[in-house]
Amino acid sequence: MSNALHTAPNTAPRKGRSRWINLASFGVLLLLWFLITAPLAGNNPLVAPLFLPSPMSVWTTFLQLMQNGYQGKTLGHHVGISLMRFGLAFALTVLVAVPLGLWMGMNETVKAVLDPPIEISRPMPKLALLPLLIIWFGIGEVAKIVIIVLALFPILSISAMQAVRGVGRRKVQAAMALGASRTMIFRRVIFPASLPGIFTSIRVSIGIGVTMLVGAEMIATNAGIAYMAMSASDFLLTNVVIVGALIMAVLGYALDLLARALENKVVHWGGREG
Amino acid sequence: MATADGTGRPPKVRFEQVSKRFGQGADAVQALEPLSLDIAQGEFTCLLGPSGCGKSTLLNILAGFEQPTTGRVLMDDQPVRGPDPRRGVVFQQGALFTWMNVHDNVAFGPLATGKPAAEASRIAARYLEMVGLTAFARRYPYELSGGMQQRVGIARALANDPEILLMDEPFAALDAQTRELLQEEIRRIWQDTRKTVLWITHSIDEALFLATHVVVMSARPGRIKAGFRPGFAQSADPAVVASPEFARMKAQIFGLLREEALAAQQQESQVNER
Repeated sequence: MSNALHTAPNTAPRKGRSRWINLASFGVLLLLWFLITAPLAGNNPLVAPLFLPSPMSVWTTFLQLMQNGYQGKTLGHHVGISLMRFGLAFALTVLVAVPLGLWMGMNETVKAVLDPPIEISRPMPKLALLPLLIIWFGIGEVAKIVIIVLALFPILSISAMQAVRGVGRRKVQAAMALGASRTMIFRRVIFPASLPGIFTSIRVSIGIGVTMLVGAEMIATNAGIAYMAMSASDFLLTNVVIVGALIMAVLGYALDLLARALENKVVHWGGREG
Repeated sequence: MATADGTGRPPKVRFEQVSKRFGQGADAVQALEPLSLDIAQGEFTCLLGPSGCGKSTLLNILAGFEQPTTGRVLMDDQPVRGPDPRRGVVFQQGALFTWMNVHDNVAFGPLATGKPAAEASRIAARYLEMVGLTAFARRYPYELSGGMQQRVGIARALANDPEILLMDEPFAALDAQTRELLQEEIRRIWQDTRKTVLWITHSIDEALFLATHVVVMSARPGRIKAGFRPGFAQSADPAVVASPEFARMKAQIFGLLREEALAAQQQESQVNER
């Protein structure tokens, strides 16, 4: 958990220092990219633009894409459709898998029924199911959303279940001794105590969900940011491929930041014991 | 070993031939031998004994968290069937609701037992004042020191105005100074409210300082080895701990506990050899 640092005093200056080192490390990578792609003293660059275009030319391509779009669709459209697929699939999974996992954590019978199918499906690489899903649902949105849901469902439901089982027995006993009903124990003790665990799995799911999205968009579709990169690769438009990859990276990072901000707000106590 | 209090009134709590065995078959552990004990209304009973002697088991059975293997526990002649807000429990640590602020922790019991929110809030304020934490009502448990957290736990248990307080080594994790201050505070609260208390501790000093009835238990399986009725708890003089009677009783209990601690150690090494 991100709160591990809070317990040690004296981390503020060290944290500031690491931030500078982070920035410097990032700067060095950018400089390296610049150096190996720049035409040095009239010679050819170390790496040909076909394989790795320079940062400036990637930036120019980005600006052009912003202005003219790609294949008749604006860049915003491609990003928007990717986000829509991800958002819909993610929201759907959280809304179904988390309550189900909580229920499995509370009820032995429910766990006994649902655990085997979830556990069996967990190690299976879900992208392998995409051809089957295309036969079932065609190449529309449904197959893409279903593949993301399939990938995230076991993670979110099992960790919600484990979060419930990890709630301290003493906290539950304390609530019982204070006269709380079963409903109140669930709503005010077990559910909030499970939230840190649930948020951890939500953040893990974001990374996996974005990966599944990219995989799904690379096959049989005509919009989306990963589609853009894939089709540009067919025409050896390396600049566009890199813009696409960077946009995906920024999206993944932004989603993680969002989840982290939400986590800090909702579970401000973190895993910290009283 | 029933301990009549001489008034002829029925005891507040009666353990009748209560025993507890954990596990099955060859792995079963007899935690408590059949044991009988009466606790009179308004009495402050301390259970002293080596680790693993079943003191906590005894308390958990009275709290209603565990069922005895044989025998039964009566409170006001009614068998104990489960947790009940008439019996307040204070744990060693880790039982506060870390996601709620101090005020909400203390108001939990009154809300759970059906008080309207405004009244629960007034009750919480009153008990927070009693333990000197009014200024910290809006803080969260992780922002408090260990001693303050235990005071929250005590206020939370008192807020239901229970007939009995069950305290399972509430100060064991605190430093010596904090511990002494809290002992004085508990003594003051007991002298004011005259609640029936069952208190578990490792500390002979703590037991003699607080209790009207000290029960010394044997190593596992737990039995009652001896009972003492020190009068120091009624005293208003904190220097009572320096009196010769205090020292004499302490030495006597120390001798008893030492035998049991040695016996417990021997048991452990036998288990290790197996």
